Amino acid sequence: MIEINNLAKTFKEVTAVRDVSFTAQDSRITALLGPNGAGKSTTFRILSTVIQADSGTALVDGIDVVKDPMGARRKIGVMPHNAGLYTRLTGLENIRYFGTLQGLSKGDLEARVDALVDNLDMADFVSRRTQGFSQGQRIKVALARALVHDPKHVVLDEPTNGLDVMATRALRRIVKNLKDEGRCVLFSSHIMQEVDALCDHVIVIGKGEVKFDGSIEALRENAGTDDLEEAFIQMAGIEEE
Amino acid sequence: MSFTTVLKKECLDNLRDRRTLLSSFSLAILGPIFFVGIMVFVLERALGESDDPTVFSVIGAQYAPALMAYLERENTKVTRLDPVDDPQTLVTSGQHDLVLIISPDYGDRYEKGNRNTLLLINDSSKLSSQRRHLSNLRGLISNYSRTIGLLRLQLRGVDPDLTRPITTQSVDVASPAARALTILASLPYFLVLAIFMGGFYLAIDTTAGEREHGSLEPLLTQPIPRAQLVLGKIAATSVFSTLSLLVFLTSLNFSIPFVPFERIGMSLEIGLGQLGSILLVCLPLIFFAAALLTVVASFAKSYKEAQTYLTIVIFIPTMPIIIAQFMNVETTNTIMLIPSLAQSTLMTDFIKGEPVANLHITLSMLATTLYATFLSYVAVWLYNRERILG
Repeated sequence: MIEINNLAKTFKEVTAVRDVSFTAQDSRITALLGPNGAGKSTTFRILSTVIQADSGTALVDGIDVVKDPMGARRKIGVMPHNAGLYTRLTGLENIRYFGTLQGLSKGDLEARVDALVDNLDMADFVSRRTQGFSQGQRIKVALARALVHDPKHVVLDEPTNGLDVMATRALRRIVKNLKDEGRCVLFSSHIMQEVDALCDHVIVIGKGEVKFDGSIEALRENAGTDDLEEAFIQMAGIEEE
Repeated sequence: MSFTTVLKKECLDNLRDRRTLLSSFSLAILGPIFFVGIMVFVLERALGESDDPTVFSVIGAQYAPALMAYLERENTKVTRLDPVDDPQTLVTSGQHDLVLIISPDYGDRYEKGNRNTLLLINDSSKLSSQRRHLSNLRGLISNYSRTIGLLRLQLRGVDPDLTRPITTQSVDVASPAARALTILASLPYFLVLAIFMGGFYLAIDTTAGEREHGSLEPLLTQPIPRAQLVLGKIAATSVFSTLSLLVFLTSLNFSIPFVPFERIGMSLEIGLGQLGSILLVCLPLIFFAAALLTVVASFAKSYKEAQTYLTIVIFIPTMPIIIAQFMNVETTNTIMLIPSLAQSTLMTDFIKGEPVANLHITLSMLATTLYATFLSYVAVWLYNRERILG
């Protein structure tokens, strides 16, 4: 379970996150929905311990990310926005590097890598250098890298960005599997159909604040429209330009 | 340990980048060959110079038979030419390097005791060997002129010494060996440069490059202390700086026998002993270079920016060496406290085969390691800040 309580973060003069609180349950897919610049990535960065909040707390399985960052990092698998791979290493080497950094023993690591290659359907390309991989192949390797230590919590920042239809479908199936395995999946998006197709729980963020927290059905009801996009625009408090 | 994992990964990553690898080791491979080439060239010339005849051409040789006879008795090679309209073209066209012109009224003026002016046409933008011919010929002519002048004074009953109240005599002690040593003194400069060049690209790739490629953020979410991460990167840079130095020393070891030291009466030997000592005193400098490059590259926002910064940084440690060369710095305790200057001074002593105090070696190693450790702290501190993500 991931708990976010009253997070706030300001960079110099820009307030990226004003007041964000929500909970993401295990065995569920929770979507963080919001326009660009709403504070999704900042929230995720605080959660993944790479930056610190000015105030508020973030707990991963009850572990405070500020008090015990190492413990939190072991429990969480993060795929940041536009995550890059090492292009001169092969897909496998990229995954193994992170597995070793996570402290996996050689035997555990190889077993885990084999399972991931199988689950994510990467056997065709994973032993090649990642230079020249398609976006879909890159995302799969980046995802495997985030999952190599078998984390209970998975945080994906706009994972379907730049993927074609087939790759998006494949990724959705993978995310669903993660949920079925009992993991707590938290992912951000600004694409309605995707959220509609995948998520159990939606949190709409706008201008650094939580605007809505509930199920997709509740979101529709709340906005008084069946058009999800319309509902999102209303909730996020954005005006059409 | 995570430190070794990072170190191994960064080394493997950089080893696979063949082009960058070649360019960072190019100085180490070609430097010594180039260096030895210059030494051979300079020494061969220094050795050959003294025996070479002075080469020049003459127009109007028939007007001054006595002068010509004198010149030809000396170590010269004279070509007699027929008069031409524009003698300057003989030189500008490159057919002749040095042309002496004697005018037809030479004999007349000589008889009357008037001054004769001989024209020497040369091109000073050409190689220095031709300048040598010019000065030699000038010397010969002025000798001849002085002898004639003295004879004339004596004929008139005047003591020739009256006309020259003061004379000078200079003694040039610069032997070919001294020239060789001057060139050898610039060797440490190249060695220090090789150390910095060896780690140059890796320092950028592991810091600014990693951030630009977007792999830094996922890396920072791994459960390892930042110190191990940063030290792993600095260690990887050190490995490549060391490799660069080893390549340089190996290349030097194979090319130095081509220098004809024995012909200039020098028993200079850069053997494995010296190379080992050089490597030892350079180890702290390698650590220092890696830490310095990593810190500076961490400030840069992009690969390009880092390249610009580091190009400037490379000049900082090499500057004192160049200045020291001109100022002939002694090996003192204070010098040993300055990284790069300490090592280059010690290396010069090793190469010249001069005795080196153990205190100096220890002092240089301790001081440089201290600076390097401080820089590593700075690097770790930089990576502990949120701003490292850019």
